[in-house]
Amino acid sequence: MTTPELHHNCDETLRDIESFLDGEVDVVVQQRIEVHLSDCSPCMKRAEFRRHVKVMIRSKCAGDDVPPTLERRIRSLLDEPPVVQ
Amino acid sequence: MAQTAAAEDPALRERFERDVLPMLPSLYAAALRMTRNPADAEDVVQDTYLRAFRGFAGFQEGTNLKAWLYRILTNSYINTYRKRQREPQTVDGPDDIDEWYLYDRLGGRNVELSAETEVLDRIPDEAVKEALESLPENFRLPVLLADVEGFSYKEIAEIMDTPIGTVMSRLHRGRKALQRALWDTAKERGLVDDDDA
Repeated sequence: MTTPELHHNCDETLRDIESFLDGEVDVVVQQRIEVHLSDCSPCMKRAEFRRHVKVMIRSKCAGDDVPPTLERRIRSLLDEPPVVQ
Repeated sequence: MAQTAAAEDPALRERFERDVLPMLPSLYAAALRMTRNPADAEDVVQDTYLRAFRGFAGFQEGTNLKAWLYRILTNSYINTYRKRQREPQTVDGPDDIDEWYLYDRLGGRNVELSAETEVLDRIPDEAVKEALESLPENFRLPVLLADVEGFSYKEIAEIMDTPIGTVMSRLHRGRKALQRALWDTAKERGLVDDDDA
């Protein structure tokens, strides 16, 4: 194991930022990144930007109106499911 | 093995209506992103509901219902729709795109982040959906499942029946391609100056 340091440097932070924002890093890496971000505004800005992109995609790709005919067809499916071939 | 179908078990059917029917809007939206057209999306969703209804007796209550449904949805899309379309499977990724493609082009020089994010917020919903749908399927699905649906890498690996390392690599490359698509759509809509790109 390498010597444990308190925080990631910029390169390490940007390397791991995607997994960090996805909540997919272990708690040690998470803390190392958080410490670095709290101290490095350029990295923090990049992290916030990437976070914003994720949130924006999620909010803008969600709302599609379900055709009422589809909902009706699915409900009738439950009443009379087709016979399994 | 004879299985009690949800159709013949009132309690099971009730639970299906309570837990699975409300998922329709999000399943339909995901199917639209997968198939990229409403008629096919309806077919995929209907097939998903049929398979889910038939298999609901085998679903363990208390486990991850959303991941279970999205696995059925993804299989339904792959089995029925893709066979028909014969969409070429893109293996190559957008390797020429930098991970900070969008950030670098949207400025990244201002001290305040608001200028960059305001541009993103002004891109209409439809254009963001089109940008996502423009990605090759290999990259579109992981991005959809991670960024829109909020699944973990492990869940996506299970839904797509793909090793987790492959999921991570496709997600990474898919997001890069999406950055370029978002930049292109922002440019087309005159939301950004293209002086330095």
